[in-house]
Amino acid sequence: MTGHHRARRFVWTALIPALAFGLAACSHDPNSTFGAHSEVGRAQESLTHLLLILGGIVFVVVEGLLIYVLIKYRARPGGPEPKQTHGNTTLEVTWTLIPAVILAIIAVPSVRTIFETQAPAPASALQVEVIGHQWWWEFRYPEFGVTTANELYLPTGRKVNLQLTSNDVVHSFWVPQLVGKRDVIHKDAKMANHLWFTPESSFVWNGFCAEYCGTSHSNMKFRVFTVPPAQFETYIAHQKTGPAFTPPAPDTSKQAVAQAAAAPQPQPQPQLASAAAEANTGTWPHDELPAWTVPETPLPAGLTISAQEGDPARGAQLYKTGACIGCHTVQGVSPGIIGPNLTHAGSRTTIAAGMYPNDAKHLALWIKDAPAMKPGSLMPPMGKGLPHTMGAFDDQQIADIAAYILSLK
Amino acid sequence: MATTVAAPALAGTRHKYESGIWSWLSTTDHKKIGQLYLYTALAWFIVGGIEALIIRTQLYGPNGRLVSADLYNQLFTMHGTTMIFMVVMPLSAAFFNYLIPLQIGARDVAFPRLNAFSYWVFLAGSIFMNVSWLFHAAPDSGWFAYAPLNTRTYNPGLNMDFWVIGLQILGVSSLAAGFNFITTIINMRAPGMHFMRMPIFTWSAFVTQFLIVLSFPMITVAVTFLLFDRFFGTNFYEIPAGADPLLWQHLFWLFGHPEVYILILPAFGLVSEVMPTFSRKPLFGYPVMVYSLILIAFLGFGVWAHHMFAVGMGPIADSIFGITTMLIAIPTGVKIFNWLGTMWGGSLRFTSSMLFAIGLVCLFTIGGISGVMHASVPSDMQQTDSYFVVAHFHYVMFGGSMMGLFAGIYYYFPKITGRFLDEKLGKWHFWLTFIGMNLTFFPMHFAGLHGMPRRIWSYDANQGWNVDNHISTIGAFILALGTLFFVINMIRSRRNGTVSGGDPWGAPTIEWSTPSPPPHYNYARIPTITSRYPMWDVKAPRLTETVPHTKEGERKMGVSVAGKETGEITTPSDIHLNAEGAHPSADEPVIVMPTPTIKPLIATIAFVIPFIGLIWHKHAAIMVGGGLFFLIAMVAWLLTPVEPEH
Repeated sequence: MTGHHRARRFVWTALIPALAFGLAACSHDPNSTFGAHSEVGRAQESLTHLLLILGGIVFVVVEGLLIYVLIKYRARPGGPEPKQTHGNTTLEVTWTLIPAVILAIIAVPSVRTIFETQAPAPASALQVEVIGHQWWWEFRYPEFGVTTANELYLPTGRKVNLQLTSNDVVHSFWVPQLVGKRDVIHKDAKMANHLWFTPESSFVWNGFCAEYCGTSHSNMKFRVFTVPPAQFETYIAHQKTGPAFTPPAPDTSKQAVAQAAAAPQPQPQPQLASAAAEANTGTWPHDELPAWTVPETPLPAGLTISAQEGDPARGAQLYKTGACIGCHTVQGVSPGIIGPNLTHAGSRTTIAAGMYPNDAKHLALWIKDAPAMKPGSLMPPMGKGLPHTMGAFDDQQIADIAAYILSLK
Repeated sequence: MATTVAAPALAGTRHKYESGIWSWLSTTDHKKIGQLYLYTALAWFIVGGIEALIIRTQLYGPNGRLVSADLYNQLFTMHGTTMIFMVVMPLSAAFFNYLIPLQIGARDVAFPRLNAFSYWVFLAGSIFMNVSWLFHAAPDSGWFAYAPLNTRTYNPGLNMDFWVIGLQILGVSSLAAGFNFITTIINMRAPGMHFMRMPIFTWSAFVTQFLIVLSFPMITVAVTFLLFDRFFGTNFYEIPAGADPLLWQHLFWLFGHPEVYILILPAFGLVSEVMPTFSRKPLFGYPVMVYSLILIAFLGFGVWAHHMFAVGMGPIADSIFGITTMLIAIPTGVKIFNWLGTMWGGSLRFTSSMLFAIGLVCLFTIGGISGVMHASVPSDMQQTDSYFVVAHFHYVMFGGSMMGLFAGIYYYFPKITGRFLDEKLGKWHFWLTFIGMNLTFFPMHFAGLHGMPRRIWSYDANQGWNVDNHISTIGAFILALGTLFFVINMIRSRRNGTVSGGDPWGAPTIEWSTPSPPPHYNYARIPTITSRYPMWDVKAPRLTETVPHTKEGERKMGVSVAGKETGEITTPSDIHLNAEGAHPSADEPVIVMPTPTIKPLIATIAFVIPFIGLIWHKHAAIMVGGGLFFLIAMVAWLLTPVEPEH
């Protein structure tokens, strides 16, 4: 094959991937680091733009030279021995200095941005504590006394200062559409990392753990809800209140117990069907979630549950007397701190750290066999008869507990 | 003064074990050891490649369920560990072993038995690490195994026990070889081979050995701390006892960054050998190419924390490491330009070897650009730990190291076996690899900038990553097909390849003056070196007439070589008095080579036994017994002379 054909083939070989990449780039990118929605994110992104432009120029020049050389200097049969150059000091100095200049162009704004974005946060910033666990996220608002999990509500237009600590291994807090990541390393708050930024628009954002942290690293997702300040106030006010569902005091008369055992009567579950109801909690309406924040994780094979309608009152009883209280907090009901705070779990959009939608079926399956739903989960199964189970709940009882949790809006 | 071309086979000592399995098990011949490294590393390349194909198949579409999360985590850990420690490093070692003595005009390395020991220990370590699969407990904390995920508290099973011990064993192999090659290059160069006349591959190997010798102790310390934590209850990394996870990260990356230069410099050296030959021009800017190797190695010790930009070291540390990382781009970029300068004005022959060398220039440039992007810390806050960095390091590791190593394999296969690799199959290998590699890794830049974290077992639909992952997986299978062509080529050409002769490419350096394959003793007479391109001096003087290598230069460097007039030079170690106590005449040189011995292999087995005892429930008897066995094996080895009585 002659050199000419070879060169042409080379160019076509480059074009096909380029088209493919163009295709890839055009697909919808809901987690893109481009178009970042905070001042810090945009500062980081403007450097990325600079790098892409300079990198693009270097690419075109170097690869262009390469292609030129390959075509022009291919061996021709019967051609003379090539002219023997083996060095050229001027050239070598030039092509050492030009990259140095390009790097200086990158270094100056980079260092400036480092110092700007890592300056200590102002005292007026909203303090939020982020605690990484295997494999879920705990969020605390110390100035409000609020603890929640896996969903982070932030007011737009106000700087937030995240204090990042880990309960166990190294994790990394990353919301690509908002700001660059920061690792979550130490347990001691004195050694914590801090990350501050100002959310600019009201929306829902996907968050990921970005440091490999064990079996369910991929399943350690979270959601950030940046909401108008008024809605944030409503949200915090609601989170400070106790659980939305307090079961009536149990009627312990023999008659009532016999009646309950004979014919279980599930009460209707409180639903967040109306925006008005949701407005009371300040949470994001479930029917206004963008598609890419609604998880589609398939269920594990072979895990089923025969009951889905549950009675929250019965579920509350089962919860209070079950192993659940050892790991979970429901304000005024249970003190456990090993697992996520469930006081307002009913109004969350997902369960299992962004893995499944928060609905009766998924929640019941989760309670029944969390490790099957989430590999390596430290929450043991609760279903009767399952290996390593910590509970002996049958499917109906599990549905009841799920109904109770869902009622905790 | 022309070099003497090797005479036909002379009376060397003939060994009992010239052929057969035993000759391989007992070899101390650097050429055989080089081949052992080559074939073993290529076998692990297939294993690591299969691990990659499973990963890519799992990630083909959203919510893949080909493998469990647990198995996936083992696969990506072993893929990285295998490719780095059991493929690229030993492939480089294959070339160090095969080429260094030949290129410097020596007959073997300084410590031939230690050389064999290095290989056997490498083989033992790589097998040890992979035996974990049989226990369904392959290492699973990632190839850089951050603490505290690597500790018993968070990873109680056998997985990381295999990793910690396997790595300790592999480290010994590289360290021993490092000392060996440094000694060889400093002490055993042929007369007239000043450092600035050394072939550029030997230079890259030389610098790499210093990187190894200075950086491996750091991983040894890091891993020893972990080993003691896991087996003997210490608390270097145990969080409940108050340890700081960053200790591991710093120790690891103090090793880990020089390690990546260990992985690339030999490939650079091979490209620098291949390109001048197939451009019919000397390497452009040889002195700068040497200085840039040294500068890269030196600066490489000052950038480690660029793997830790998201860790929160503070703005001063971030800025310093960002700047040093940018600085190292300068000597690296200079090499790219020098290669372009080598080809510029040349007469380019596009053999398979040359295509791979050109491939490195093309693809390493891309990897270098994404590397500079990582150097800008605020931008890196989005890029790091995403698929963007996965794209970056595969461009430099595959597009860089592997392409360079393939260039070296196609170039030196004739020297090693006496036969060419088939050029047609080689072209298929190259194009499928080039296309497949770009299809696999280029979309990862996009996936990363579109928010896809790395090391995730599966991803949900609607995240915007589907198309990138589809293309990546298709590319991976095209890459695999290319590798298949290569494997077929290697197998067929060993038996049926076209016979090549001593200097099939018209190359400039002295290894091409030997027959293919070279005799056991390499050179009948150790050559005298008078230039950087001795073979071109003899065969194509026009190519080197402008390269400085005059007698004046020799005088300036104070080299005096006895017997210049006759052109027959022997270094003292080659002169053996004959029975009458007189120097043998030129007609009857006696070449004494190291005796083959099984002792390095025995010592390796003895070396590994205590580690087996350690992982086997800390079995004290096996550990102590193995230790004693090793002691005895070492004493027996050290008391045996290297060469027969003469």
